Parts: sequence; structure tokens; C-alpha cells
Amino acid sequence: MELFTKLFHDLDSTTKTNTRLDFLVNYFLKADPNDAIWVCWFLNGNRIKGALKTSELRRFASDCSGLPLWLVEECHENVGDLAETISLLVDGAGNLPPIKGLNAIVKRYIQSLVGMTIDDKRDRLREAWNSLRPKDLLPFHKLLTGGFRMGISSGNLYKALARVGKVEPAFIAQRLSGNWNPDSMSMDDIWKSSSEDSRLCVPFPFCLAYPLQEEPENLGTCKDWQVEWKWDGIRAQLIINSGISMLWSRGDESVGNSFPEIIEASKLIPYDICLDGEIMSWGGDGLGLFSELQQRLGRKNPGLSILQRIPVRFMAYDILAIEGQDLRKEPLFFRRKKLEAVLELLPSKFPLGLSPLIDEKDWFTLSQLREESRQRKVEGFMLKRRNSRYESGRVKGGWYKWKVDPFLADMVLVSAQLGHGKRANLYSDYSFAVWCDGELFTVAKAYSGLSNKEIEQVDGFIRKNISGRFGPVRAVKPELVFEIAFEGVNISNRHKSGVALRFPRIKRWRKDKTPNDASTLDEIRGFAGMKCSDSERDPSSIDKAGNLLLF
Amino acid sequence: MLRVLQNRREGLFCPAGGFFVDPCGHVSRAVITHAHSDHARKGHGSYLCSDNCKPLLKIRLGPKAKIESLPFGKRIKMGDALVSLHPAGHILGSSQVKIEVSGQIWVVSGDYKPQPDLTCEPFEMIKCHGFVTESTFGLPVYRWLPEDTIYAQINDWWVGNAENGIPSLLFAYSLGKAQRVLAGVDPEIGPIFIHHAVSPFLPIYERSGVDLPKVEKVDLDSEQNYSKGLIVVPPAVQDSSWLKRFTYAERAFASGWMAIRGLRRRRNLGKGFVLSDHADWNGLLQVILGTGAETVKITHGNGHALSRYLFGRGIDASLLNQPVSAEVQ
Ligand SMILES: [Zn+2]
Ligand SMILES: [Zn+2]
Repeated sequence: MELFTKLFHDLDSTTKTNTRLDFLVNYFLKADPNDAIWVCWFLNGNRIKGALKTSELRRFASDCSGLPLWLVEECHENVGDLAETISLLVDGAGNLPPIKGLNAIVKRYIQSLVGMTIDDKRDRLREAWNSLRPKDLLPFHKLLTGGFRMGISSGNLYKALARVGKVEPAFIAQRLSGNWNPDSMSMDDIWKSSSEDSRLCVPFPFCLAYPLQEEPENLGTCKDWQVEWKWDGIRAQLIINSGISMLWSRGDESVGNSFPEIIEASKLIPYDICLDGEIMSWGGDGLGLFSELQQRLGRKNPGLSILQRIPVRFMAYDILAIEGQDLRKEPLFFRRKKLEAVLELLPSKFPLGLSPLIDEKDWFTLSQLREESRQRKVEGFMLKRRNSRYESGRVKGGWYKWKVDPFLADMVLVSAQLGHGKRANLYSDYSFAVWCDGELFTVAKAYSGLSNKEIEQVDGFIRKNISGRFGPVRAVKPELVFEIAFEGVNISNRHKSGVALRFPRIKRWRKDKTPNDASTLDEIRGFAGMKCSDSERDPSSIDKAGNLLLF
Repeated sequence: MLRVLQNRREGLFCPAGGFFVDPCGHVSRAVITHAHSDHARKGHGSYLCSDNCKPLLKIRLGPKAKIESLPFGKRIKMGDALVSLHPAGHILGSSQVKIEVSGQIWVVSGDYKPQPDLTCEPFEMIKCHGFVTESTFGLPVYRWLPEDTIYAQINDWWVGNAENGIPSLLFAYSLGKAQRVLAGVDPEIGPIFIHHAVSPFLPIYERSGVDLPKVEKVDLDSEQNYSKGLIVVPPAVQDSSWLKRFTYAERAFASGWMAIRGLRRRRNLGKGFVLSDHADWNGLLQVILGTGAETVKITHGNGHALSRYLFGRGIDASLLNQPVSAEVQ
């Protein structure tokens, strides 16, 4: 545990990315591989599920420290972070001999809790607190509560591992994507050169685009750029390997089960291949709405009726590998030719197709065409430099999204929660509502867009105007009005309002407005061209964006 | 029943003695617990404080203020009240105000800490019927480590930076904390610099017998070499253009709030040293229970948790934040 604890506190002691990277590299050089694999797994965004409930952890801390439960809860609310709260309340007494090694500690004190009775869990945790040193407590609790990220992006994790193993970061990225755990993979597997093909069905890291924040003229001549519509769908990689097809969404989720027609259609492609593209709702009359696609997502093995009601299509716009050959370092124009050659054989009006290019000679004509985006149910353009490589993650200069301007609406702050990280003790996660029949309905949750000073002011207002408590959520007297920008509207059956905004963020604080000036639910629906009947349908599941909301 | 203290708009008032403790606004007679700006305000007719507090208060209030002082423990009569000042262990000259009216004894603690401190008089426990306590760190997540441990942490951090030729910029409140830092760090490590806001208080500390190392004022126009230096700066200076000079320095903050990681990260600091002039949770309990007070009034900070906890232990504890005729008896 010592090396890991040191890594944790080292990472915590600096805000400089490069220094952090050095700390991580040093750790991987020194650490026992059985410990290091856990660090890879946790930093890759995984957590051990079902080990302990938040309420159990607070209860045990109360039992162990002799403090009443309400006081532990009060501390949690003030500190913001549960792992930190518990670390400050229990003693790392160290009167049991310490267990050496992160692997042993994770197995004995975290993994083994899954499925234990509550009394056994309490005993096991008490043992942990008695054997860990005070310094170990915070890193241990971070692992236990699943909050160990330490400001390390997956990109930086791959970089650090790549430096140690002297391989390409993309290679590491491919190794670490998909489903694996420290029992099924070793550090050696991560670094070993890629002759074996057992893991070739996993996706490559997606190449991501930057938002275009300047005039397109600044990008130079239009001829250097490949222009495509920016689809309002689900980004995915379609991988075909020895007759098996898989569909991976970003976030390494295998979504093939939800879209069997795409998997079926891919069988017409006679190559081992990896395509990048977008899953779209695609009716007889062309492109559909995202809110329709939403009803397909997460519904495994959909029935015939929904397959007919909401057909989908995979629009391919890039090819990353063919017949075992990695094409990502080839220029885009080369990849596009390959892609066209592969897909031209497919029938038209097929669940699998080629995303078209937009062939305009100058930026001005393009910018006029872009005005039609909303009618065309797309989000604007993608601009991709013709000679660009397929990068892992977000790399400046290659890909841009040139989106249409967001929708704007004034909304009332109605509830708030403590934020995370730097904002852990500020009420900085807000819920916003609009009017419908004289009542306020929550439609969005947002936490970005205000300056630090404004956040502190809003926090001050909230603390003085709390009108109710529901778990960690504080209802707030409806008084402050904010202008909210958003990209679209989803159906949501988790919200009384029946809608959920997509990518809502705070544009500005409208100190000049009162709650009466806020928008109405009908206006919000109208924005997205949503028919009233849309909200009456019964979506079986909702997209991740829906989880952003509270009520 | 006797009125010892009332909670008025301007602050705590002793009707028998005709004086306020640490008041706001303009009152004729103010007893001041210590020279921090949230306790010692300008604009009152006359001031009473401890002998060691007086020169600090002068700097705070200017030469025109009418300030009288008392040695610790000396009892004087003010109207029908007997008043004496006793060390609070918060900063140099900080007092608890003991007020006795017809046999009823109340103590107003001001800010205090029972933990040892190289730079001020040690806290004195006073038995009383009623106790007005602060609650700046009134949650059990605040538990201070011994002073020596914190000094060792600061020294380690400074040594590490000095070895790399990087200046160590340490934020510390200019009165109290800055002197406490200076008194405890190891001056052998490198030169020590201070922001000019810290310097007026130093001679006063030295005259009271506090050992402070040799320091230099930061002078941006001169050719000072900061690379192995410790630079002690009040936090109010953070983000100002003064700091542009030190963008390459490592930064840390010495404060009880640094116990909370989120607060440290919000200030974008790599390091925080948990060094406080206030009592921690256990310190608050130790003192409150030690006074034997049956009635406890809580000010300063979020006292909800402390009052509920004390209530659970059979003590009549309540908050003193609504100055609306809440009478303290
Ligand atoms: Zn003070
Ligand atoms: Zn104070």
C-alpha cells in the first residue's frame, strides 16, 4: 500500500499535468505488477460495484468513532466528499499489522465485501481501519467509494503506460478498452506486443473533435477540409472480425444487441474491418429525431413492432482498420477512398451506409447551408482536415465540429446539490425549471457556466433560501433566473415535465429577470420541433443524457 | 434573575457594566478580546483590552483611538460588574472576558484554542455559569495534529523546494498565523521573506518575548534572490499582480481550513498545512466541558452541529446568531 499511498498524495500535491504524468510513470516502474494492474483498472474508470452502500459506510464510521450518525452525515454534507469525510473521522490506528500490497488490500477490504452480511462488512472495515496507517485512509476510501480518478485522464494513463512499456499510447488504449479486470489481465498483457488477436474485437479510442471557436476562414482554404453533416445520433465503431460483428458506443459499451439490423446488415461486408460512424434514427422519410433513437437505445433484443416503428441506420464516415491492417496513421483522404470502396457494394436504403460528403467550394456557401441544419435535423458540420490521421481522443487541429447555435431559454433555479472536486462544499449542481399551467417543472440540471465568484454568490443565496431537503438535494426558493443554452430536447419519463434538455449549461445569470419572466414548457417543446404526442409515448429506457436530471 | 449579558444589534452587551464585547457600529465602551478585524472595529468611544493586545490594537485602529489595557487576571469594577481578562491562546494578547454580576459568572471567549502555541499566552480554563464560545471549526472532521508535526511538514516542503531552486510561497494571515509560522520554521533552510502587511506586527511580538527569526521584506525593485526562500504572504494578496512575480513558486496555505481537501483544491494549491489559531472539535469540547458552564451560547461559524451535540450531552447550548432580544442570563 505504501507506494500507492505515496502515488495518491503525490498526484494530489500538484496541479501540473506533466508532473502528474511523471509520478505515474515512476509508480509503474517501481510497483509490483499485481498492484499496478489495479491502478490501471481504477484509473481507467472502473469501480468495484456493490461492495458497500454510502449509508453503510456512514453508519460504520459512526459506530467506530462513537459519533452520532447525524453528526457523521452533517460532516459529509460539509466536506462534500464521502471518502474524505470518513478518512477525517476514523482513526488509522495502525494497531493491527499492516497488510502489504494494494492487490491484497483491495481483495481483502473491498472486493470481499460484495455479498457479505452487514455485520461481516462492519467487522471487515473495522479491521481495515485498524491496519491502515492514517495516510492510507484517504486513498483507500477513494478506492472503496469509487472516486479514484486523481485528475488523470485516460489519455494520460495510456501515455504513462506507453512510456514505461515503450509502445504506442494507442496500443495501450486498445488493450485497456472494453471489459477486463485485474484477474483477466496482467501488466504483461498490457505491454506485450500485439501478435495475438484475442482482443481485436475491441474498439479503438475514438478520435474526437474540438468545437470550432473561430471563423472557418481561419482554417485556410476550404479545399483542405472534408466537410460532413454532424449527425444527431450515437457515435459508434462497427467491428467485424472473422464473421463476428460488434457495435461499440463511446464509453466502451457494446450496443449491438440494441441494433440487430445493423449487425445483420454488416454480414454483407466481406472483410475484417473497423468502421467509425453514427447510429441514426432513419425512417422511410429520411432522418429521424434523436428522441426517437433514444427509445431504441438500451432496449436489448427489440421486438418487431419497435424495429418497424423506429428503424435505424449506421452511417459510416471513417475506416480505422481493414484485414488486420491499422489505417489510423494514413491520411483521411486515403481512408475515405478505402471506405467508399468497401461500402459501395451495399444496397441503398440499407441499415448500413456511407455518410455523404458536402462538396462546396467556399466557406461562405457552406455557412449558408449550415443555416439549414435544424430543418435537416443535424447539428451543423464536421470539418476534418483531409490529410489528418485518426487520433486517439481530442487532438487540436484535425477535426472540428462547426455546430449551429444552441437553443436558449430563461429558467428558474429550483434546487441544488453540493458539487464535486474543487466545488465539493459549494452548492454548485443546479436544477432548473420552466412554467407549465402555473407550476414550475424541472427540465435541466447544469453545473457549468458560472464564474467562481458567481458560484459563491449563488451558494450564499441557496444556503439562505433552502425550502426542503430530499437526500442530498436542497429545494431552493424559486427566485434566481438563468439563461440556459442547450442542444436539443429528449423525452424523459423520469421527469414530471416529460422532457430532458441535451447538454444544458448556464449561459449567464439573468439578474435583470424575475421567475415570472422564465420560459414555458411549450416553448421548450417547440424548440425541438417536438409534437405534443411525443411526450405521451412510453419510452422503455432513456439515454445517458437523461440521467443528468434529478426529478 | 440578573442580567449579565444581552445580545443587542451591536453585539454582546453587559447592562450592569455598560459595555459591549467586540461590538459593531458605534458604542461608547468596547471591551475587545483580540486585534483581529472581525473583533476589533473602528468607531467606538473607548476601548479596553489586555496589555499585550494594546499595541496590536493601535495598529488596527490608528493613533486616535482611546485604548486602555489591563494585565491578565486583574479584576476591575465597571458599573455593577466585575471584569477581568484571561488568556485565550488564540493570538498574542487575545483574551477571554470574565464578567461577574451578583455572583453570576459569564465568560466570553472571543476566539480561542487550548492547544500550545509558541507565539501567545497559553489558554486559561475559567469556571463559569455561562460560556460564550466560538465554533469556527465545530465539526469532528477538524482534528489538529501537534504543532511540531505541522512545522516539520512545512520544513520538509520548504527543503524540497529549496533543493530545486523553487521559492516557497506560504499564505498565512498577517496577524497571528504569520508570526506563528515564522516562530516555528527552521531558519537554517534558507532566507525568509515577508510581505509588507506582515511586518508591522513583528516588533510587537518580539517585544513581548516571542523569538522570531531574521526576515527580509520583499522588495520587488531590488535584486533579492528568492530561489531558496520562504515567502510569507497574507492570503488577501492571492491573485493580485504582486504574485505575478512569483508565478514559478510552489504555493501553500497555513490554515485550519486546509484540513478539507476541497477547500485546498479550490484555491488551486498543491499543499495545505493544517495550522489553526482556533480550537478543533476536541479542543472545543474540552474547553466547554472544562468550564463547567450550564449554559453555552455559540457564535462564529456553523454552530448547529456543536449545539446539537452539546444538547445531547445535557448542556443547554444554543446559537447566538440572531441579535433579536435574545437575552443571556
Ligand atoms: Zn481571531
Ligand atoms: Zn474571529
